[in-house]
This record gives sequence, structure tokens and C-alpha cells, in this order.
Amino acid sequence: MQERREKIEAEGAGRQMLPHEDLRRLVELLRESGIGEISVRQGDLEVTVKARSEGLPVQAAPPSLPDEPERAKPPAPEEPPAVEGNGLHAVRSPVVGTFYRSPSPDDPPYVEVGDRVEAGQTLCIIEAMKLMNEIPADVSGEVVEVLVENASGVEYDQPLFYLRPEG
Amino acid sequence: MIGKVLIANRGEIALRVIRACRELGVRSVAVYSTADADSLHRILADESVCIGPPPASESYLNIPAIISAAEVSGAQAIHPGYGFLSENARFAEICERSGVRFIGPSSKAIARMGDKSAARETAARAGVPVVPGSEGVCSSAEEVMRVGAEVGYPLLIKAAAGGGGKGMRVVENEREAKAAFVAASREAKAAFGDGSVYVERYLERLRHVEIQVLADGRGRVAAFPERDCSIQRRHQKLLEESPAPDFPDEVRTRMMDAAASLALSLEYEGAGTVEFVYSGGEFYFIEMNTRLQVEHPVTEMVAGVDLVSEQIRIASGEGMSVPERPTASGHAMEFRINAEDPRKNFIPQTGQVEFYNPPGGPGVRVDSHLYPGYRVPPHYDSLLAKLIVHANDRHGAVRRGVRALDEFAIAGLETTLPLHLAVLEDEGFVKGDVYTGFLAERRLASEDGVLKLSTLTA
Repeated sequence: MQERREKIEAEGAGRQMLPHEDLRRLVELLRESGIGEISVRQGDLEVTVKARSEGLPVQAAPPSLPDEPERAKPPAPEEPPAVEGNGLHAVRSPVVGTFYRSPSPDDPPYVEVGDRVEAGQTLCIIEAMKLMNEIPADVSGEVVEVLVENASGVEYDQPLFYLRPEG
Repeated sequence: MIGKVLIANRGEIALRVIRACRELGVRSVAVYSTADADSLHRILADESVCIGPPPASESYLNIPAIISAAEVSGAQAIHPGYGFLSENARFAEICERSGVRFIGPSSKAIARMGDKSAARETAARAGVPVVPGSEGVCSSAEEVMRVGAEVGYPLLIKAAAGGGGKGMRVVENEREAKAAFVAASREAKAAFGDGSVYVERYLERLRHVEIQVLADGRGRVAAFPERDCSIQRRHQKLLEESPAPDFPDEVRTRMMDAAASLALSLEYEGAGTVEFVYSGGEFYFIEMNTRLQVEHPVTEMVAGVDLVSEQIRIASGEGMSVPERPTASGHAMEFRINAEDPRKNFIPQTGQVEFYNPPGGPGVRVDSHLYPGYRVPPHYDSLLAKLIVHANDRHGAVRRGVRALDEFAIAGLETTLPLHLAVLEDEGFVKGDVYTGFLAERRLASEDGVLKLSTLTA
């Protein structure tokens, strides 16, 4: 929603490439087999294809040459892991809409920072096309931070709350 | 003027609309799926809203998400681009009811032109020539035979709800009518859930010629000189040009009048295209596309008009700034550069653009969302770029096209660039002998790594 102007990170061109045909075959193989990762070495060229946690294949990592260790990593995918480095869990918006912390303007917020919530408990409402969508916690834990201001717009996949999961 | 426009599309057409907004001083809102987080339309728009995961059904076709995005961003209007929701009458109606301006015609006009047999009837009533055939739907093989006796064979049976060749059958004579009718109805039912079919005279060696219209919704309609889109592969346009080669002025005038009369009868508003087949000096209505088309820049180049700005101006209630019979100068050609490998039966290509260098110089325009490092996602259509050239005459446009296609460098995935070079070197094409069967009747072969077309010998 706010101004966004980001640099596009162009990756170095001219790396040795595997034919796209072969890459596609690897991705298909991965999808069919249901295994997590396939690595293929062909001379100097090594290619690793990994599946996402849901079992969906993600784009193949670019082939890396032994004399070029770890240099040109692909830009990190948009979705950070469910549990961030600090051990917190982000609850994300499943829809585009307007974020409300309470059932109506006169009611108190569903949750405050410091509250303990159960998985399934409503954290907020997102209004989309006059429909009120109650957004539940997907894990049990403590509310650490509310990331969005009341009555502001949120986009799909935007983090709304940080929870500290239990256990 | 509308203050803020949400663009319910992606790729080059989203950029095209953002560019028009910029020049008009209108704020733009991009919507994007998580697969398009690194896309130029997201980056170049004034604001952006993520509307869903990669599948189009959950993002670019997700009506509630798009309407919500318009609400949270405060956009007053939605430009649908082409494809996705651009010809969805229900979407236009929901916009109308949600108080967001749909940049395009009324949902009624979209629905009327979306039903092929209703469109045909409307055209005939507006005095637009239609291919001789049945009036509306044929409900039995006997009706097909009656039409055959009246207009002659061969006939073509087509699905009323159809497109893309499904539910189509050629009938060479009366004996074939029964089997063809049954097969076409069954196929139409399976493909579109509606088995209704209609019948037309089957035209051979035809050309696809279309008229761009622009209507202000207050009774003024501009009809532009034609575009020829005969160079197609499996009903997909590949190369479009204006003016159509070897096209009489008298036919042009009649075609422009016919298109304008259809738009007027629909009380049309905004940009649209009336498509015709042209065969043996006569033209017949096929359908009307109630949206901006991929090939609109061809008209922009020859007529010196900005069709997207005009759309926004019309939607703002400010009318249009073009005369009812705009003139054109020179010759323009558009080449669709798709992520498809012409050497391997046009298999779609995905992956990273390793190197990208578009052509420049006089008379060259490139509409594209590519940049070096851009990853072509597998979820959407294969159009990567449109190269448009403009020169004084057709010969100049062909020379300029060859020069610009040669300069155009895209590395990392295969594209249709070499196919276009092969078309421009084809003797028949250079002479202006274009027709919809042009590519089907030629063989594509690689000679020393260069693609060449050769005519199939019967």
C-alpha cells in the first residue's frame, strides 16, 4: 500500500546453463516422486532442485560452479519461513481487505500484546467486499506484536501478528 | 479526471496502462500475485497490493480480492487490460455496483458481444455484413441442410458459446450434415456446457482484418483504419500490421462504417475492436472484442493516438480527443515475442532472462515487462514483449522489422524472435500475400541454425 520502489537485483549473466528441457524434467521428476531434493552433477555443473515444504516444487536453484562458491544466490523468495529467526511466528492475511482489531468500534480488541491465545482463536477481522472475515491464530502462543494499525488496508500474505509459539 | 486507477492485470499491458496514467497525472495501483512480486508493474506503479497466490483463479481472476484492493487503495476506477477479467460481464457489473468505474463498456454490451450468436444477430440488425448462414442457433441437422440449400456448401458448424476451434466442423455436402451436426453439438456441450451451434458458409483463403473503435458513450464513435492480423498460428495472432496489404480504399471505408454502426447500435463506450474475415473482396463480421487488444499499438503508431489515455479520458467523462474518421500515415507492424521455442513445436519456456537488450532507433517501440534477471513464471501467458515498427511504407516497415528483430537480444530462454525473421524473409509475405493459413501451409526448418519457412509441396 505504501510507496514501493525497490532495486531489481540483476544476476550475473553468462553462467553455464543446463538446458531448460533437462531442468523441467528434473522438476517433473521431483513432483512425481514426492521426495524433497534432487542433485545432479554433470562435469563442473551441479544442479539442485528442492521441493517447498508443502511438497510443491519451487524454481530450480541456479547451477553453481565449484569455482564460484555461493556467489550468485537467487533473490530470497517472498515468503519467509513460518517461524522467523527470532523464534516468532507470523500470522498472515489470507485476503485483501481492511484490518479491524475488534468486532465493532465500541468493543475492546480481540487480543492485546501479552495475551495468550489458543490455535483457532479469533485475532482480528478483515473486511473484504462488506464481508467480515474472522482471522484465527494458526498456532497457540503469546501475542508479541500487532503489526498493522486498526482500520488500515492489508494485502494478501501480509504479516498481521507475531506470536511466540508454545512448546 | 479520475484520480487513481487500479490495473487488474500483469505483464506488459499493466505497464502500458501505468505509463498512460503517469502521463495523464493519474495515480496507479498495481495488483500482483505472489509469483509476480518482482515484476515491473508492481515496482513502477505508484502503489501496489498483493491479491493472492500464483494461480490466476486465486489472484488476477479473483473478483473479491480485486474489488477489495480497489477499496483499500481508494482507486476510483479499474482498468482490466486484456484477457483475465476484461470481458467478464459479471465483473463489470460488480464494479458498477461497488461504485468503482470499470474502464470499458457497460456489462450489457460485454454480455451481448460475448454470446456469439447474439453478437451475429446484433451485427446483422445494425447493417453489418455477416457470413451467410443460419439466423441464430440451429437445433437440428435438417436446419443445417436447409441453410446449405440456401447459401451453398461448404458450410462451417460453430459452437454458440465457443472459441478456439472447439465444436467446429466443416460440412462439404448435404450427406455430411447429420454426422457433423451431432459431433459439433457434442463437442460444444463438453467444452462449454452448452451444445448450441450455428452454421456459416465456410470461406477459404481468408484474411483476418479488424477495425479499432473508440466511443465516448454520448453518440460519438471513432473508427480507425484497419489492422490485418492474418499471420496466426493455431488461431493465435503472431504478427499484425496496418494498413492491410493490397486493401482497396472503398472496402476500408465500408468496413470502418460497418464497425462504427455496430458500436453505435450498442451505445458502446470506450475502446473495442470489430473483427472481420475478408475473402474475395468482401468482408463479414466475426465478433467484437469489448476491450483493449494486444495489437492496439499498431493503430497507435499509424494514427498517432494514445488509445489507453483515451480510454481513461472517456471513463472520466471527458470525451475523446480524436475525430470520428481518424487518418493514418505510414505502415506499422507488430511482432509478438512469446516465450515459446519455435524449433521445438512452440513448447512454452519458463526460467530466468539472463540477458535482455531491446532494439532502439527510429520508428521502433518495445512494450515489455522484461529486465535482465527477470524470472518468467509458469503460471501465465507466454507473451514477453511486443516489438512495433513504423515506417513510411510496407517495404520500409519490413526492412525496419528485420533490423530491429536482429538487434533484439533475449538470452536464457527461447523465444519466437527467429520465427518473425523467417516470416519477414518469406517471399509471399513480402509480396503482401497474407492469409490465416499462411503458417499452416509452410514448413519451418532450421538451416545452419537460422529458421526458414518453405512452402509445403502438395
